[in-house]
Amino acid sequence: MKTTPSDLKQYRAQLKDALGNEFLGKTLETFTDIICQRRDTCFENMDFAALAAEVGRMKDAALPRLMELYAQFKEQAEAAGAQVHFAATAAEANRIIAGIAEQASVKKIVKSKSMTSEETFLNPHLEGEGFKVVETDLGEWIIQLRGEGPSHMIAPAIHLSRQEVAELFNRVIGGDRDPDDIAGLVQVAREQLRQEYLSADMGISGVNFAIADSGTMGLVTNEGNARLVTTLPRVHVALAGLDKLVPDLDTALKIVRILPRNGAGQIISNYVTWIRGANECATGPEGKKEIHFVFLDNGRLALAADPVFGEALRCIRCGHCANVCPIYDKVGGHNYGHVYIGAIGLILTYFYHGRENARALVKNCLNCQACKANCAASIDLPRLIKKTAGLILDQEPRRPAKNQLLAHVLKNRKLFHFILRNAYLAQKPLAKGDKVIRHLPSFFGPEHGFRSLPVVARRPLRERWPALVTAEASPRHRVALFGGCLIDFVYPEQAEALVGLVKGRGVQLDYPLAQTCCGLPAQMMCEEDTAREVARQNLGALDPAKYDYILTLCASCGSHLKENLPKLLAGDPGLAAKARQMADKVIDFSSFMNDVLGVEPTQGETGPKLAYHAPCHLCRGLDVHRAPRDLIQAAGYDYAPYADEEVCCGFGGSYSLEFPEMSAAILGHKLDQVEATGAEILVSDCPGCVLQLSGGLDQRDSPIEVLHIAEALARAGLKPAPDKS
Amino acid sequence: MTQPALIEEFTERAEGLSASVAPAPDLAAAVEYAVKLTLEMGGTTLAAPGWEGDDLAAIEAACASAGLELFSSDLRAVADNIFCGFTQADWGIAETGTLVIDSRSEDLRLATMLAEVHVAVLLRGNLRPNQEALHDEMDALFKKGPAYLAFISGPSRTGDIEMVLTLGAHGPRQVHVMLLEDAS
Repeated sequence: MKTTPSDLKQYRAQLKDALGNEFLGKTLETFTDIICQRRDTCFENMDFAALAAEVGRMKDAALPRLMELYAQFKEQAEAAGAQVHFAATAAEANRIIAGIAEQASVKKIVKSKSMTSEETFLNPHLEGEGFKVVETDLGEWIIQLRGEGPSHMIAPAIHLSRQEVAELFNRVIGGDRDPDDIAGLVQVAREQLRQEYLSADMGISGVNFAIADSGTMGLVTNEGNARLVTTLPRVHVALAGLDKLVPDLDTALKIVRILPRNGAGQIISNYVTWIRGANECATGPEGKKEIHFVFLDNGRLALAADPVFGEALRCIRCGHCANVCPIYDKVGGHNYGHVYIGAIGLILTYFYHGRENARALVKNCLNCQACKANCAASIDLPRLIKKTAGLILDQEPRRPAKNQLLAHVLKNRKLFHFILRNAYLAQKPLAKGDKVIRHLPSFFGPEHGFRSLPVVARRPLRERWPALVTAEASPRHRVALFGGCLIDFVYPEQAEALVGLVKGRGVQLDYPLAQTCCGLPAQMMCEEDTAREVARQNLGALDPAKYDYILTLCASCGSHLKENLPKLLAGDPGLAAKARQMADKVIDFSSFMNDVLGVEPTQGETGPKLAYHAPCHLCRGLDVHRAPRDLIQAAGYDYAPYADEEVCCGFGGSYSLEFPEMSAAILGHKLDQVEATGAEILVSDCPGCVLQLSGGLDQRDSPIEVLHIAEALARAGLKPAPDKS
Repeated sequence: MTQPALIEEFTERAEGLSASVAPAPDLAAAVEYAVKLTLEMGGTTLAAPGWEGDDLAAIEAACASAGLELFSSDLRAVADNIFCGFTQADWGIAETGTLVIDSRSEDLRLATMLAEVHVAVLLRGNLRPNQEALHDEMDALFKKGPAYLAFISGPSRTGDIEMVLTLGAHGPRQVHVMLLEDAS
C-alpha cells in the first residue's frame, strides 16, 4: 500500500528529486498550459463564479441528507432491477465487490476509471482474491502496467512522456514503437483492450453522480471505455462515494455543465452515460444485466456533518485544483497528493488515508488561492488545507518551537516591535553596508540562498510618521493606513511614496501606532488563537468607525483583514460586528488610487519598460485585476505583460522557509517570464512579493529593479485627479 | 431559437468536436451516405439496429447492391466485425453538438460503441437548444424501468498521452450526423 513520507525532510527530498526531473517538469508544464487555456476558453461567455457557487449550494443542500438520498436511490434502483449495497469502510467495499464477483463466478474484470476504487485499493484486493483486473482507461491502463497510482484525477498518466509510454508498450507487449506516433500508441491500447472487454465477466465503473429520485447513475467520460465496461460484461458493479448522491436531475445537469468544462476544458465530454437498473444484456441472467451499486461511507457521513470540513465533500473531482496549482505544476501528482491529488487531495488524504500520509504533504500549500478561485464547487480549499494542517498539529505530541515562539511574540506587540527594531543591529554585520543580505548565515542552509534578504530599516515607518504627514485642511477621505510588519519595519519607503502621492488631495491619513501584525503569519502557521488575539488588538488600535477607508499597501494584510478577520472573530460578541465593519472598509492601494481618487494620466514620452506581478492576495484574495494595470499605463510606463502575471511568486510567507526548493523553483518560473519581457522595472502591490522578487533577481545579478507600485507611480510623477467637488 | 439557428449552432459545435454534419433530404440519402462512406473507408459491414419496415428494407437493399454485409440484430455475435454503425438519434443538443440516444437496446449500444464509424440520423425537429431543454424527457425516461441514455459528442477521444488529442480511443473513430428533413 502507498505511503507518503510523514517526515518533512524526507518529503522535501522527494520534492527535490521531482524538481530535478527535467522530463517531468516539461511534461507537466505543457499539460497545465494546454488544459488551463482550454478551460478558460470554455468559460469565456459564462459566469464561472456564479455557476460554481450554485454547484456548491446544491451539493451543500444534499450533504445533510446523504442517508435519506441513499435510501431513495436504493428504492428506485432496486425497483429497476439493480442491487444496492452500503459499505461503511474501504475494506468492506472491497469485500462486497469481491463477494459479488465470486457469487457470479467471475474470472476477468474490466474497469473504467474510478477514483473511489483507488481510495479503497480495490485492484490489489481483487487480485489477491484471484481475479484478473484490467484497467481500460488509457491512462489508467498505462499506470497499471507500470504498477503506479494515478498522478491526476482525470489524466492519470500525465506525468509520463511519450517516450516512457512507448518504452513501456515495447517492454510489455513487444515491438519497437515510434514515441512520436501517439495515434499508434493509442491504437495499441484500442486493440489490446477490445479483446479484454469481450472476454470479461464483470465491469467495474466509478460514478460521477447518483440521482436519488430516480436511482440513475451518470458517467462523464471521453474514451468510450466506460460504455464498453458497462455494456459488454454480464455483471456491472458501480462504486460510488456517498458524496456522489444528488437529489435530482437538475443537480446532475448542473454538474454536467461544469465538470467537463472545468476539468478537461471541454464544453462537454464525448460521452455522458446515464444508467438506471438492469438493462438488456444478452449474456446476463434472463437476458438482463446483473447490476450492483456499492456506496462507500469511509468517514463521509461524519465529514458531511462537520461544520468546517463538510465543504470538502462538495468536490466533483474535476481535478482542476491541481492544474492551476504552481506546486503541482512543478512536481506532479505523485509528489502532490497521496491517492487523491491536488488541493482537495491534501485535505482528503488526512480523512481517508490518515495523518501519517498527510502530515508533511498538507504543509505544502502557498495559500496562493488559485485552487479556490477555480474550484467547480467553490470550495475554500486553502482554508481547509490550513485547517487540516492545524488538526494534525494539534495531534502532535508537542508544538514545534517556532510555533510556540511565534505565538508568544506576536501576542505581545511591544516585544514583537522591540525585536524588529533591534533586528537592524543584528543584521548590520551581515549586510556589510548594503541594502540586502546576499550571503545568509550558515544555519539557514544553502537551499535558502536562492534569494537575498532585505535589511530591516534603520528607522521604521512608525518613527518617521509624525514628520511625514501634515493635516489636510478640508479632508474628503478619512483614511487609516494599515501598514503591516514589512512596510513598517522593512520597506517604510513604500509608505512614504504613498504619502507623497496623495499629499494635498484631501486625504486625511492616519497611522494608528498601536496597530500590530495583521495575524496572517500566525494563521498560516496554524496558530489561530494568536491570529484571533492580534485581530482583537488591531481592532483596539484602529476603530473602523472613525474612517472611510482602511488602506493597505500589502495585499496579504488587506485580504487577511477583509476575509479572515470576520471569520476569526465571528464568535466574539461585539467584536464580530467591528471586524465586519473593518473588513468592509479595507481597500488596497491600487483600487484606492485608481477607483476612489482617480488619476490624471501623465503626459510626455513613454517611460521605461515595466512588468507587473499580481500578488495572489490582490488578484484572487481581493479580486482586483484592472486597477494596478490602469495605473501603470496612466503613469506612462511601457507596460510589458507576460502569460503568468497572476501566478504566485513562490513567497507564501513562512512557506518559503519551510519549502525553499519549491519556493525557488516557482520564483524561477516567474523571473524567467519577467526577464523575457525585457522590462527594466518590475512592480507589485505587496511588500512580501517585492521581497521575494527582488531577492531572487539580486541573486541572478539581474539589472531589473523591483518596486512597490506606489514607488513606481510616485517616481513617474503621477497625480490624483483634482477634487471636482 | 429558430430551427436554422439550432442547426447552425449544432453543426458548428459538432464539427468543433471532430464530428461531420450533413443534411439529408430523406432516409434514402442518409443510407446512401453511410454505404458510400463505408466503401470509401474499405469497410465491408454495416450494423443497423433499431430500424423496421420500409426503413430496414431500404437499408437492406442499399447494402445488398453495394456488397456490404448487414447486421440488424444479435450484434454480440459479430462484435469484432462491425465497421459502420448506422442508427437513429432521438435528440440533438445544439449548445454542445451532442447526439442523445435512448440506448436501452443492447444492439443499439453495441453498434454505437464498437463500430469504427458511426452514422446517426437525426430529425431536425428533434434539435434542442441545450441539455436542460431535455430535462422532462430524460426525467420521464429515468422514472420508468431500466434506462441507458447516451450523450455522444463527436468521436471517442483521449489526451492521456501528453495531452495530445487522439481520436478513436475505444469507440468510433468518426461520427457523422445526418440531419433529416422532418417531413420525410
